[in-house]
Amino acid sequence: MTKRIRSKIARGSAELAILSLLEDKPLYGFEIARQIGERTGGTLKFTLASLYPLLYEMEKKGWVQAHWEANAGGRDRRYYRLTPTGRRQIAPLRREWRLFFQALDALSGVSHA
Amino acid sequence: MPDWNRLVRKRMSGALKLEPHVMEEVTAELAAHLEEAYERARAAGASERTAIRQTLQEVVSWSDLRAEIRRTRSMEDGMTRRTKLLWLPAIGILFTVGLVLVIVDRAPALQQFIWIAVFGLLFGAIVSEGKNLNERTKRLWLPGFASMTAASMFLFAASTVADPSRFFTQLSLRPQSVLHVEPGPGLTFYFSWIIAHLVFGGLGAFMSRQAGGTRSARVFAAMFPALTMFLLCGIVIPISALAQHNLFVERHPMTLIFGMMIWAGIPGIALLAGAAPFLSERGRTIPL
Repeated sequence: MTKRIRSKIARGSAELAILSLLEDKPLYGFEIARQIGERTGGTLKFTLASLYPLLYEMEKKGWVQAHWEANAGGRDRRYYRLTPTGRRQIAPLRREWRLFFQALDALSGVSHA
Repeated sequence: MPDWNRLVRKRMSGALKLEPHVMEEVTAELAAHLEEAYERARAAGASERTAIRQTLQEVVSWSDLRAEIRRTRSMEDGMTRRTKLLWLPAIGILFTVGLVLVIVDRAPALQQFIWIAVFGLLFGAIVSEGKNLNERTKRLWLPGFASMTAASMFLFAASTVADPSRFFTQLSLRPQSVLHVEPGPGLTFYFSWIIAHLVFGGLGAFMSRQAGGTRSARVFAAMFPALTMFLLCGIVIPISALAQHNLFVERHPMTLIFGMMIWAGIPGIALLAGAAPFLSERGRTIPL
């Protein structure tokens, strides 16, 4: 698999992971990375270098909107909130990933692996 | 504890050419992230040295990060050099020449050639900007534009052998005549135009599907030529007829509805039929 294909798959799955997480409530970067790591048992892991370019790109596309707000510890953090456009991306992305895994399953039985 | 703000500012400076307030914001946000990662590592029992090392592992290559942040936070025009130096000037020159010819009403054949070339160049420019296009443009507007360009090209090409506008007017004013119209170039044009819509619809839906478009995006992309004709026949022509107090239209309002059926409804059905093979989720391609 080429680096380009790997990176597109990773980017696509990361977008869905972030959108799904923000569906519940606005979160700031570190919290997004922490919760994704925690909820996936460490399988998906964001670093600063992989997270922020993606968040900025999603912001540019109008999927998320950011604002500064104090967190529970009283420190200012940049919170990301899902926009209506971002919310509309979730269902098609989920369908696409379901289709992707069905295709992989048909090819190599990944769900039984 | 290290001064994370200073560290980020130092590592991000130089290659980043962002607006100062954006730079401030990015620095503050990244520094806050590193600070929290460091504190978490310390709270988990790591020594200061280990915590710093773990925190710095958040960024393997600062130069890659600078490039990525510049790409995503910069408000610079994302157009490629080729588009700026080749496509846009060519489109501008041809469009101006075409417009002048329309105004002075000269060289109709050259005018047609120019408009076809402008459409072609515009399409080339959009394709060359592929990487800069957002998802909606790739999945909806570009395929829709392709299917509309194909339909317009067909009209231009047809007009070199016959004058479709005469048939257009005749059929719009007397739509019932389509049932007993005499064979000739007009009828041949209309039916070949409708049949060609199967291909245009297929093209729009196919392109949208290749870009990962949803079923509704594929339908919209395929139906684009019919939607344009609907706007023309259903809104522009009726409003202009009413504004001009067109007596014929005022006495025969059903003509407008028939006109819409013939120029938007029937082509719309043909477009949808052409798109049908590309609407199934089973054959959908996931672009990698």
